[in-house]
Amino acid sequence: MIGSRSEPAPTELGGEVAVRAASAAAAVGWRARVAAWARVAFLNGVLLILYGPLVLLVVFSFNDSIIIALPFRGATLRWYEQALANARLLEALRNSILVALGVTPVCLLLGTLAAFGITRFRYRLRGAVAGLVGAPLVVPWLLIGVGALLFFNRLRIPLSLRTVAIMHVVCTFPLVAAIVSARLARFDPSQEEAALDLGARPREVLRYIVIPQLAPALAASAIFAFSWSFNNFEVSFFTSGFELTFPLWVFSTLRHAQNLPVVNAISTLVSAVQVVAVVVAWRLASRGRTRREEVAVEILGG
Amino acid sequence: MARERTGRTGMRVAAFVASPIVVLLVLFVGPMVVILATSFVRSSITGAGGLTLENYLTALRDPLYVKVLGKTALIATLSMLTMLAIAIPLGYLLAFRAGRAELPLLLLLVLSDELNPIVKVYAWRMLLGRRGLINDALMALGLISRPIDALLFSDVAVVIVLSVSWITYTTIPIYASMKAIDPNLLEAAGDLGAGLVTTFRKLIIPLAAPGIFVSLILVYIPLFSEFATPALVGGTSGYMIGNVVQEQILELGNWGVGSALSVVLLLLSGLLALVSYRLSRLHRVGVAT
Repeated sequence: MIGSRSEPAPTELGGEVAVRAASAAAAVGWRARVAAWARVAFLNGVLLILYGPLVLLVVFSFNDSIIIALPFRGATLRWYEQALANARLLEALRNSILVALGVTPVCLLLGTLAAFGITRFRYRLRGAVAGLVGAPLVVPWLLIGVGALLFFNRLRIPLSLRTVAIMHVVCTFPLVAAIVSARLARFDPSQEEAALDLGARPREVLRYIVIPQLAPALAASAIFAFSWSFNNFEVSFFTSGFELTFPLWVFSTLRHAQNLPVVNAISTLVSAVQVVAVVVAWRLASRGRTRREEVAVEILGG
Repeated sequence: MARERTGRTGMRVAAFVASPIVVLLVLFVGPMVVILATSFVRSSITGAGGLTLENYLTALRDPLYVKVLGKTALIATLSMLTMLAIAIPLGYLLAFRAGRAELPLLLLLVLSDELNPIVKVYAWRMLLGRRGLINDALMALGLISRPIDALLFSDVAVVIVLSVSWITYTTIPIYASMKAIDPNLLEAAGDLGAGLVTTFRKLIIPLAAPGIFVSLILVYIPLFSEFATPALVGGTSGYMIGNVVQEQILELGNWGVGSALSVVLLLLSGLLALVSYRLSRLHRVGVAT
């Protein structure tokens, strides 16, 4: 499917040379076909590994049997009914959504501030500031979780959804800073300066220059921040006390139990919402840009 | 005048970075300092108090922990190598050969990372379990007579699931650095008679090295601290040092030893980050000259 295929037509060459050229060209064509086939097979293999198990998870959420095993025993929606009637699960979901809703705007604010501070000024401590902001992206979440647990205990702050949200902010806003920095680095600060020179007030610069330029990056950041918080397991695990979030519910349900179709059902619902959110974020990030390199760069900012 | 201007710049910088920096100093550096402090204090359960190296000695003398550390390094390294073996060709195909499929494939790669990680681990557990779908299918086909126990609750399962979980973060930096390579270089290499293997060895890998080091920092380091995946699919042979830390801290209340092990992990992370960073710097200089 990729690469050019040239059919040999060496009729004007004489005798042996023509035959040799033809067989060489045929060999090249044959090789190119094998290479193209191998590329397609490899890409499909990767997709199968990434999504195959999730497709099966969805399929078995409709299977009319408590045991997740072949053969398929007919379709049912009862696992969905059970999932949506499970009070603890609903509470965990609600907690996760509330935490993520609280965490996202704070991350956008802190991340954007940090991004401006790192990309728009030259000063002695700039490297140190950038290093500190980047550090939570490198230090494993297990260690951030353990540290937070001991830290809150030291300060006698009881663990709750509030401590979960605080720590989600700490490990998520550096991601927003990275996405927004990547965007700022590609948009010329002279626009802001020109507006200021022409007498625009800082608030007007923000309203008419900065926000429109940053809008796609901010939209993408919002969705990534929400999903990082919603998906976070490690940090929540150490900082939630007796509260449950959705990943914690899945973990504690599966830790000492068999596989359960109820988990399939709720996972299917949650994943469906996440797919829609990511596709929307992708569209926002790539809106108005036609060259695919640019879109790719935008995504790579995160 | 100049001083006044730098003073004003300082004020403006502070207006931007003050709140993020304070948040990180209190809530990120603070907890790291508390871990460090706790690791040097005699366990409060015994009530003794005082500074000590006991926690480190307990952690590093125990042959079980040393074995688990070794196992952790093995699992992390095998997962990393598996991912590089997939991510390098994948990055190359995405950057140079995917054509119009490039963006949809990238989207699928990013999307798989945004789905809930615990849900993904569970999906693999469904497949790999003793009564999982792979065993079921193999038995139904008559290829095996008894389920293969090694599939689930083993180090192999952990390597498989970790590799799938982290493949996005391994591939994206490698793809990005390959995207920066001028395609004309590849064409020139081909015209000069370099085969795919030579092109990769002499051209693509050296030029993509900075991306490879970035993915090492982003992926190899956190792999050492995994504990959810081994807890769900690892069983006893796929038990990692993260599980020990979690048990010591949450189940045994042994904060001193848990902290000491955390500090060891933190130092290991720092060391790996430094090595990767230095290598990438060295490499960039090497390519430039």
